[in-house]
Amino acid sequence: MQLTSLGLVRGIIGYFVGLVIGMAVVMISRLALGMSAWDQEAGWVGGIVFATIGFMLAVGSMTDWLKWTRGVETPFHHGPPVGKPAWTRYFSVDYNHKVIGIQYGVTGFLLLIIGGSFALVFRAELADSGISFLQPGTYNTFLSMHAWVALASILLGVGGMANYLVPLMIGAEDMAFPRLNAFAYWINVPAIITLMISMLFGWDSGWTAYPPLSLRGPVGYQMVFWAIFGIGLSSILGSLNLIVTMLTMRPKGMTLFRMPIFCWAILATSIIQLTATQLIGLAFLMLSFERTLGMPFFNPLYNALGENIGGQPLLFQHLFWFYSHPAVYVFVLPGLGIISELLPVFARKPLFGYRWIALSSLAIALVGFLVWGHHMFTSGYGEYLRVVFMISTLLVAVPTGVKFFSWLGTLWGGRLTFPTPMLFTLGAISVFLIGGLSGPILATAATDLFLHDSYFVVGHFHATIFGGFVFPFFAAIYYWYPKITGRMYNETLGKIHFWLMTPGFWVMSLAQMTAGTMGMRRRIADYDPALGVEPVHMLITIAGFVIAFSILLMIYNLFTSAEVGALAGNNPWRSRSPEWQIPSPVPEHSYARPITVVGEPYDYGLAGSTYVAMAGAGDD
Amino acid sequence: MLKLPQSSTDRKHFVIVGALVVIATIALGFFLLAILPVKAQHSVQAEPIRWLFQLHVWLIAFLFALVVVFMLYALIVFRKRKGDDSEGEHFEGNTTLEVAWTVIPLILVVIFSFIGFQTLRDATRGGDEVQVEAVGFQWSWTFNYPNGVVSQEMVLPVNKPALISLRATDVIHSFWVVEWGPKQDLVPGMTTRIHITPTKVGEFQIVCAELCGLSHWSMVAKVRVVPEDEYIAWMNQKLVEQNIQTASR
Repeated sequence: MQLTSLGLVRGIIGYFVGLVIGMAVVMISRLALGMSAWDQEAGWVGGIVFATIGFMLAVGSMTDWLKWTRGVETPFHHGPPVGKPAWTRYFSVDYNHKVIGIQYGVTGFLLLIIGGSFALVFRAELADSGISFLQPGTYNTFLSMHAWVALASILLGVGGMANYLVPLMIGAEDMAFPRLNAFAYWINVPAIITLMISMLFGWDSGWTAYPPLSLRGPVGYQMVFWAIFGIGLSSILGSLNLIVTMLTMRPKGMTLFRMPIFCWAILATSIIQLTATQLIGLAFLMLSFERTLGMPFFNPLYNALGENIGGQPLLFQHLFWFYSHPAVYVFVLPGLGIISELLPVFARKPLFGYRWIALSSLAIALVGFLVWGHHMFTSGYGEYLRVVFMISTLLVAVPTGVKFFSWLGTLWGGRLTFPTPMLFTLGAISVFLIGGLSGPILATAATDLFLHDSYFVVGHFHATIFGGFVFPFFAAIYYWYPKITGRMYNETLGKIHFWLMTPGFWVMSLAQMTAGTMGMRRRIADYDPALGVEPVHMLITIAGFVIAFSILLMIYNLFTSAEVGALAGNNPWRSRSPEWQIPSPVPEHSYARPITVVGEPYDYGLAGSTYVAMAGAGDD
Repeated sequence: MLKLPQSSTDRKHFVIVGALVVIATIALGFFLLAILPVKAQHSVQAEPIRWLFQLHVWLIAFLFALVVVFMLYALIVFRKRKGDDSEGEHFEGNTTLEVAWTVIPLILVVIFSFIGFQTLRDATRGGDEVQVEAVGFQWSWTFNYPNGVVSQEMVLPVNKPALISLRATDVIHSFWVVEWGPKQDLVPGMTTRIHITPTKVGEFQIVCAELCGLSHWSMVAKVRVVPEDEYIAWMNQKLVEQNIQTASR
């Protein structure tokens, strides 16, 4: 087998060919305009744009579309690759949503490891005061990269869960637009390559990239802007696809309120992604234009009289947070959906208040659009805005509370069992509770003026994202692992993973909040031991390494169990959801015949009820 | 040993859980206050912040206890026993409860909005008996007094309301003295302001709290809060040193 038969390899070659062509085009244009040939800002921007196009063409993500433009027909179904080992399809363009889901999920997991490793590097540096091995410039780059790589990993992880599960859960053969689906996945790859290249040049603003700082630093910023633009494009296209799939491809009998609850979470998430993502795309594009072409969008520019005839730095913050706050709900809503999905199965009880949970996801998404200004309490914007955004932010507590109480109602009176996915679900609730309850302290502006940009915020959002994404993501991986691979993971290793990671995370979170109240600032390469935070930092670092070690156990478990795990059978969890009524691993076209929904999704304990009827059941 | 009722809706469960929630709230509240030592305590503006923080801590302790105690109780009492293959009790929800736990938090939100508004007002207001301009730049600070005195350290008289004007010359910075409480960003092209009435004599650090590039971590300056007579003496000495004629100002 030739290496270039893998789409990924071709794509990477295409990327670098495109990079060279793009840079050459910029240089020739500049010479034609009578300028010096090389300008690193313009050169790199041109290079990145062409490299991305080069990758997407070479990987084959646009092949079918290009054929259509020439009137060439393409097969309706693309099956597994012929004459190649089965694993190769995961490294090439494939239109099956299950393959794309795995591609998203694995890429996301890989980025989670990379992003987490960046954190371990600077956590080691911060374990004691004084600069030992990480110089401030490198520290800033690692810190900033940690953020964007981790955020990309979450977006891809969410994409993985949504792509794999939604069509299965609604009994659809695939997504509405399989080619768009593949395109939306693959656009992430050149973006990630671009993001990684930025490390060679460094950048130092943190993920927020506030101008004017981001307009001054090294050329690494350009790569970040365009990488995030690419990942954002993926979000927009992917969420469009999911919305259409859920609205148009549900089986007979599945009203919206009979969808598995995870689909509601993805619906709410997709609405945010489809609309809000455009704002960060715009904001980063404007930064890139300002850097490359000197367009004064954000940087003040003074005339001879000392009047500002340029831009306003705060404008960027509004645009940035208009996406980046709702983005938090993109990260956590799917995870909360996983919690709601798994609890009934392991409690053997209906989901308490299905409609309330479903609508609370939409409510969170909606309110989430109105709270961005709470990231700007100290920014110097109009003072009364502090009051407006304080009130809107506190409102988020209401639908979030509905979820917590409904989960308690689901557990109450059940027949609870605690295999690894259930443990991670409960761990998620406990961690998300820490994250959620530390929110109002930051929502009331007065307390935020003290805690803003301190480690308290770091503790708050890591708890939110671990509780809302990482824990549920791990729960989902353990839970659907038998469906994906056909084999069970190792339960003992899974439990050790949980019992290392969860207390580790509690300690890390609370210690970060402690450091914050003691006056520890965010994002500093070194700190003053006079603050008295040194032991707290040591604790955070140790906890961080414990969490990292536990995740290594998980990786080992997932790899080895795929070979030696016990055969799982169709439905090891006795779930009512349709994907568990078909063989594991799921066949190429999932459902042999269309399914019909004949009952409620979570009627556990109701004798004689089923959720789905399989036409001609028993012949698969 | 206490015999627990079979039905999950038996009042006995809720009496036990209620008692445990009360105990857990108290224990958790004191634990959180111990591990979250708010260092903002040496200005008039820090007082409302600390007060509100502690109010939050007690609410958090209660809500955390409420959810976790209910959850742990359910995990223990409603766990599947060996040999029991029955399903859980079949109930799909309870509209009264859902309305209750929507409306009660909504009322809390209204209350906290009001309290939040008041504390915000108290934490951001003050007089301007002393005025000083702090200029932040990569990666240091300068302080300008209205009489022309320029200093590398900030000196303020204790218990006098100060209005600090903030200006950035290059990128965004943020003015923060941990012991004073609130912080305020410095934005190029804008002048921002912060009111501080220091209440304790001593030496503190002004730090930059907004990532501002390579040496952000070391962008610190000294602030000295001194008795008023000492402040006047310092100012006069500076005027002489910098050869500024007081009469003209």
